[in-house]
Amino acid sequence: MSSEPAIVARDLVKDFVVSHSGANSLKTTILWFRKARVEKLRVLDGVSFDIGKGTCVAVIGKNGAGKSTLLALLARVYRPTSGFIRANGRIAPLLELGAGFHPDLTGLENVLFNGVILGLSRREISKRIDQIVEFSEIGHSIDAPVRTYSSGMLARLGFAVAGHMDAEILVVDEVLSVGDLDFERKCVRRIQEFRENGGTIFFVSHHLETVRRVADRCLWLKDGRIAADGTPDEVTALYEDRGGR
Amino acid sequence: MVAELKELWRFRELLWTMVEREIRIRYKNSVGGFLWSLINPLVTVLVMTVVFKYLVGNQTENFAAYILAAYLPYMFFQFAVMDAAQSILVSLPLLRKIYFPREILPLAVILSNFIHFVLALLVFFAYLLAVYLLHPGVWPFQWSTLWLPLLLAVNLALATGVGLAVAALNTFFEDVKYIVGVLLYLLFFLSPIMYFSENVRYSSALRGPLGDWVYTLYHWNPVAALSTAYRKILLAPQPVYVEGTKVPPLPMDWGNFAFVSLICFGVLFGGYALFNRLKWRFVERP
Repeated sequence: MSSEPAIVARDLVKDFVVSHSGANSLKTTILWFRKARVEKLRVLDGVSFDIGKGTCVAVIGKNGAGKSTLLALLARVYRPTSGFIRANGRIAPLLELGAGFHPDLTGLENVLFNGVILGLSRREISKRIDQIVEFSEIGHSIDAPVRTYSSGMLARLGFAVAGHMDAEILVVDEVLSVGDLDFERKCVRRIQEFRENGGTIFFVSHHLETVRRVADRCLWLKDGRIAADGTPDEVTALYEDRGGR
Repeated sequence: MVAELKELWRFRELLWTMVEREIRIRYKNSVGGFLWSLINPLVTVLVMTVVFKYLVGNQTENFAAYILAAYLPYMFFQFAVMDAAQSILVSLPLLRKIYFPREILPLAVILSNFIHFVLALLVFFAYLLAVYLLHPGVWPFQWSTLWLPLLLAVNLALATGVGLAVAALNTFFEDVKYIVGVLLYLLFFLSPIMYFSENVRYSSALRGPLGDWVYTLYHWNPVAALSTAYRKILLAPQPVYVEGTKVPPLPMDWGNFAFVSLICFGVLFGGYALFNRLKWRFVERP
């Protein structure tokens, strides 16, 4: 394992402002300015960890424990309130059902766009476009608008793009259960390859069986803190034992 | 801001891809394609020509060209700002998933509108040539047209500055786009688009030192200054009818234009600074 960790988090804190009026018009803001109840919700409350290169880490926890917020902070979608989380290397987020696909553009155009948004250059994408299309098993429909695709096709295309990013870190938010069985196996193989090449995986799951099968390490997130950190067997056993509480 | 610009430069390919995507999406499902974006200005100009020439009785020659020279830039400004206002909101689901410099969204719609504008200007020149060939008279093309890139740059700076500010504010307060819509409508009449700046200068209601002041203030409005400037550099100077009497055209006021350019780049700077202050809170919008 390399000396430099793939992901570092230190005292990560994230507050969200909860608005009860749902103020998103000027009128409500002006009218309710004095009464504005600004309440802060602490979603992450001092999370620290180091993740070594090549590890597959699973994050488990109840709904609202801060798992998705943690992933979003890693993807730099949010700014932390304090502390930091840093990734060394390119991150490929596996998006739900091809978020970022435009329905009126063809599959091919969307692959290009998605690749660029994930940080590849156009030349890099054109080099792998054949591989991506072949992996997705979409065939000739690749030239049809994405709105004509089934959800399975969308998921396959989304995974194909993210899987060919040459990323060092793969971030997965419970999406791997959309394709058919064959495709799921193919994804698992691809992830295996990715790990053999020294890639790091950071994923969120409610499916403890998957966690035990694929992860090397497991973090249990509870009320914005790390409740347990260890091998998947230990942590999931503890989690089941306490019923997530 | 330097760091933000460096980051934007790093993501330039994404910006080009988005501009391309904007243009593709716009015409994907229409047969007429780009031509549709010219229908609106052409119909407007046709109607205005008929109204002004035959109903109001304005005898200015080739009036349509003078309207078009100011109306096309105004249309660019209007569409760029209104599209930018929505640009963040429509892509919020994407922003919640992936990191990239947020300014790319409004910049992409502003730039794609700018490309349309440049194409529309090409059609405008074709129109001038067609009119000349049908009614040979004064050669319509001017040497001063070489200043066009400068005007385009100032115009783009203004649209980008306003567009970025409006995009950021509209994400939190959706009233902003309605307010901006009304302001743009007012701006249309406060700028010499359907009339000439000489109509303001020589108006009988604005005589004396007060009139001078009003005229100076009037041209501090960047959209008004740009409208006048486009006309002066693109078309031959020609007498204007003000309240029935013929008056000589005023020359291009480069001093005022320099001042307004400064305002425009100030707006660009301010708009980008405001956008940067707010951009990481877009996804946390209540």
